[in-house]
Amino acid sequence: MRTPEGGRTALRACAYALPSVPQITNRPDGAASRAYCRPAGPNAKISAMDAQVVDLEQRIAELEEANLDAARTIAELRNQDALKTQFLANISHDLRTPLTAMITHAEILRDGILGPLTDRQHESVEGIIGGGRQLLAMVGEILTYARGAAGQLACVRSEFTVQEVIDQVRALSEPLIARRTHEWDFRIEQELPVLYADREKIAHVLANLLGNAMDFTPPGGRIWVHVGMSEDERGRPALRIEVGDTGIGIAREHHELIFREFAQVDASASRRHHGTGLGLAIARKFVELHDGRLWVESEPGRGSRFFFTIPLRARRDA
Amino acid sequence: MTAHVLIVEDSALVVGALRLLLVESGFRVSDAGTVSAAVDAIRREHPDLVLLDLGLRDGDGLRVLADVRGAGETLPVTVAVTGDDEPDTRERCLRAGCRDVLVKPIRAMELPAQITGWLAERTHGARARDTDSATDAG
Repeated sequence: MRTPEGGRTALRACAYALPSVPQITNRPDGAASRAYCRPAGPNAKISAMDAQVVDLEQRIAELEEANLDAARTIAELRNQDALKTQFLANISHDLRTPLTAMITHAEILRDGILGPLTDRQHESVEGIIGGGRQLLAMVGEILTYARGAAGQLACVRSEFTVQEVIDQVRALSEPLIARRTHEWDFRIEQELPVLYADREKIAHVLANLLGNAMDFTPPGGRIWVHVGMSEDERGRPALRIEVGDTGIGIAREHHELIFREFAQVDASASRRHHGTGLGLAIARKFVELHDGRLWVESEPGRGSRFFFTIPLRARRDA
Repeated sequence: MTAHVLIVEDSALVVGALRLLLVESGFRVSDAGTVSAAVDAIRREHPDLVLLDLGLRDGDGLRVLADVRGAGETLPVTVAVTGDDEPDTRERCLRAGCRDVLVKPIRAMELPAQITGWLAERTHGARARDTDSATDAG
């Protein structure tokens, strides 16, 4: 490795490479050591080179100082970033507690536990619950993001079938899809093996992609989930899930942007979508925790097809 | 006899919501906000069921289970309540001896029936183990 001290020694060696110089001393006080080594009598060439060496040494010292400054700044920024991430994790955890209490209170009212409500009261309380749950989901996304940034996300694997995950997500999404008058299709294309993966994270990814499909597909459009097998880039068998829609689509230049944290492609769409801008970034992180890939194929006005793969892993590999 | 539920939770807002729900549904309710207060309450009041929050001011809620066992007391049916739906949290709670794990927000409509179910299970379990001491009949 190159060191500043080594560089300086080399410079001196060049400046004094004269046969009459017995040795290059490497004392901290450069001037004194040169005076000692220099042959007797004036020598303009050596003087000029000597001045250059002094100048270079000064510049090296300045650069060293600048390097130290930069290193200190980087360390400080890293430290601040870690603190901010921790703050985000703490605050989102603390935000959830009162929020969940509010939602439970509203549900007590809605479910008539304190007495019957009129239809209009019921509708109003449903509004509180709906808003509360949406807010809770957003806070949950921020918490997941903060944990991911702090390297605290782990893959908790268990054995399950794809059908179980589909059923879980479908049970949650089906009423929504029906209410928004989308046509939809869940299809498992072939017999699939039992997965050994993080069930909740895969369900989360699927639910997120379905949520996007619903948000960005006008009423009357079509939404589908097709599940089959494919191979990953190393030729290993992988589960492949496609979530497609006939919605507004995504321009090619945004195909990667949408997976970046805090990215929102279109302000008006994001206002409708009420997102944190973290949903797809988190989904991709969850897929990558499984060594899988998540990508999109889409054109504006022609719908979107999101794909993700989960390479199969046997329980005994764990 | 009215079943007694102990709510272990350090947020007064959450205690308020759960208390309202459970009292309206016919349960007797008390609460504790720290690990040590919960251990005391279990030893003193012998509740039929404990709803146990995991993040308490003075430590991990699951310590309540270890401390009650350590004191040689029988554990009531305990159900963990957490804001965290990470699967490893669930495993950790079940391993520590929780009967089940609920993720906040609690579904108001479902909780009273769930509690009745857990208590019925426990009563049947106690009858099945007829050679055991009959301390936890309720």
